[in-house]
Amino acid sequence: MSTVIEISGLRKTFRRLRGGAHVALDGFDLLVESGQIHGFLGPNGSGKTTTLRALLGLVRADSGRMTVFGEPAPERLPQVAGRVGAIVESPQFFGNFTGRRTLRLLAVAGGVPTSRVDAVLEQVGLADRADERVRSYSLGMKQRLAVASALLKEPELLILDEPANGLDPAGIREMRDLMRDLAAAGVTVLVSSHILAEIQLICDHVTIISRGRRVVAGRVDEVLAGFDHGEYRVRVAELDRAAELLGAAGLTVVGHPDHLVVQQVADPTAIARTLGEQGLWVREVTPLTPDLESVFLELTGTGHRSAGTGPEHTAPPDRGTGRDAGEPERVIELGPTATGSGEVPA
Amino acid sequence: MNLVRAELERLTARRFVQLMVVLLIAAFGITIATTLASSHRPTQVEVTRAEQQAATARQEMVQAYQNCLAARAAGVQPGQDGYPANCAEMDPARSKHLPSAGDFLYQVFVFDQQIRPLLYFLIAFLMLFAFLVGASYIGADLTSGGMTNLLLWRPQRMTVLGTKLGALLGTVLVVSVLSSLLYLGAFWLIAVVGGLVGDPTATFWTDLSLTYLRGLVLVLMAGTLGFSVATLGRHTAAALGTFAGYVVLWELGARVVFEIIEVARPDQWMLSSYLGAWLVGRVEFWDNQACRPIESFCDGMYEITWRGGLLVLTLLVAGAVAASFTAFRRRDLA
Repeated sequence: MSTVIEISGLRKTFRRLRGGAHVALDGFDLLVESGQIHGFLGPNGSGKTTTLRALLGLVRADSGRMTVFGEPAPERLPQVAGRVGAIVESPQFFGNFTGRRTLRLLAVAGGVPTSRVDAVLEQVGLADRADERVRSYSLGMKQRLAVASALLKEPELLILDEPANGLDPAGIREMRDLMRDLAAAGVTVLVSSHILAEIQLICDHVTIISRGRRVVAGRVDEVLAGFDHGEYRVRVAELDRAAELLGAAGLTVVGHPDHLVVQQVADPTAIARTLGEQGLWVREVTPLTPDLESVFLELTGTGHRSAGTGPEHTAPPDRGTGRDAGEPERVIELGPTATGSGEVPA
Repeated sequence: MNLVRAELERLTARRFVQLMVVLLIAAFGITIATTLASSHRPTQVEVTRAEQQAATARQEMVQAYQNCLAARAAGVQPGQDGYPANCAEMDPARSKHLPSAGDFLYQVFVFDQQIRPLLYFLIAFLMLFAFLVGASYIGADLTSGGMTNLLLWRPQRMTVLGTKLGALLGTVLVVSVLSSLLYLGAFWLIAVVGGLVGDPTATFWTDLSLTYLRGLVLVLMAGTLGFSVATLGRHTAAALGTFAGYVVLWELGARVVFEIIEVARPDQWMLSSYLGAWLVGRVEFWDNQACRPIESFCDGMYEITWRGGLLVLTLLVAGAVAASFTAFRRRDLA
């Protein structure tokens, strides 16, 4: 697989006129290889959009190295711009132009045959409304128009910043299918989103950014496996007695009002056997497999927002690393990475 | 070339530009209609009477010139007789405009006498048009995200900004030339049908053409300035605010302050002086401070020529363009 995007040590500080500075990117690394659907996750203000803007030449990075298709960006971006389709944050268009005219002007400016306009309008489901003024479009339709503009060039790399913004469930599904179709056709997709379930459904690779730094990167399944702590939810009649028995058997147990969470379990049959031998019949033993959301919340230190409502395997308070609250909790890299090496979870 | 085509289409498709063209045509239409309504073709009696009055006026000019020469020959000092120190200034042979019948015809549009102020109006309106369109074109692009979209397609900031400026100036030039042809043609027609053409000499046409060409340069400069200031301020309002601020604070406010603190030659600090000098070729100002205390005859006049005007205006516009392109090349785009 060839490298499509490589970012290493990217730094960007926004300075204000009245003094003060905001560090948006603090040595960020990213590696996207050909054929990937690469999810790019991070909390609000973590640096996702700044990264994409810097990569596309809209923001000047203070330092760091970026390449797109092996060409240094943004210096040689014009040489590869024809191979890159991108939308960055909520794109806006002239309200008085129709969707078709908007795309046609971009096609003319970019030297793309205007015959592509109808094709992409069809592709994003805007063909029926193409001759209406953009100002009459809903947010979701504007988003489709933006995606259409990115597809005009028949790009080899598609960069989508929050493409599901404003889309209804059907639109989100269409967007997902579209990305899969594009990936199947050989297009590399880098997509940032807040909809973690969508990323988990679509993406094969993921990079999570927090406070301007990469905190995890790799194949989605490998990232999730790295956070599998061997936890099981157990429902049984006498919780207190069951906890006592399991503890006596050498298992770590966390009690909850209506169930137990047993941790570090190598063989789940041991749970049923231990309790059954003492006449306690287990109603449920469910493995608590981590999902992207729980990993995201744990890594970015935003888990407190969903305290009490998230899945049980969300990091408990005593799982913290003792770092400063402003620091990412850990840095993990799985699979191919950009520069530098990270710490792989035990 | 594709980018130029796209930008030309984008510019001409903008509602604001279309609205400004409509306003331009409306303003010209009102001016033409007003002139047409207030003019009539003079009768032979009116023409004869006007010619007699013009002849009398010319004779009076000759007489005054001769009186001046006589006074100077008699040793009368300038300032004692109301004549200038140099009588040549009164020489009818050197006068740019001798009284003609047109000066004494009322409610009659005389082309060769009245077209010049109308031309100034045309240029002023075209300058306003160019400034507003230039500021709005780039300002709206910067605030609407249009520029960001475009740069995703053509990540060449200088090329994109330069093309936009070129498209703007090209469009402004075409609109200016076409509207000027219609405007000046309409007045020519009014003169032929409902007034008098007068006696347009070759000199008249040369002067008029030069004034018009200088006006076109001003129109392009105004467009460039609006574009550049809006680029620097990232917003259309930045250009409008700068313009309003300059007029109120400097041309009006500072002028008053200069008078109060008795600054010498305050007009030479005003852009309007250089603008006028460039347009009409030469402007004269009176320096209040030059002749104080008044002890004897003193000529406190000073002038700004078109060369000075061109230099100052070119430096201003070139500076604004350089600043805007430099800022745009380096800045982060939202």
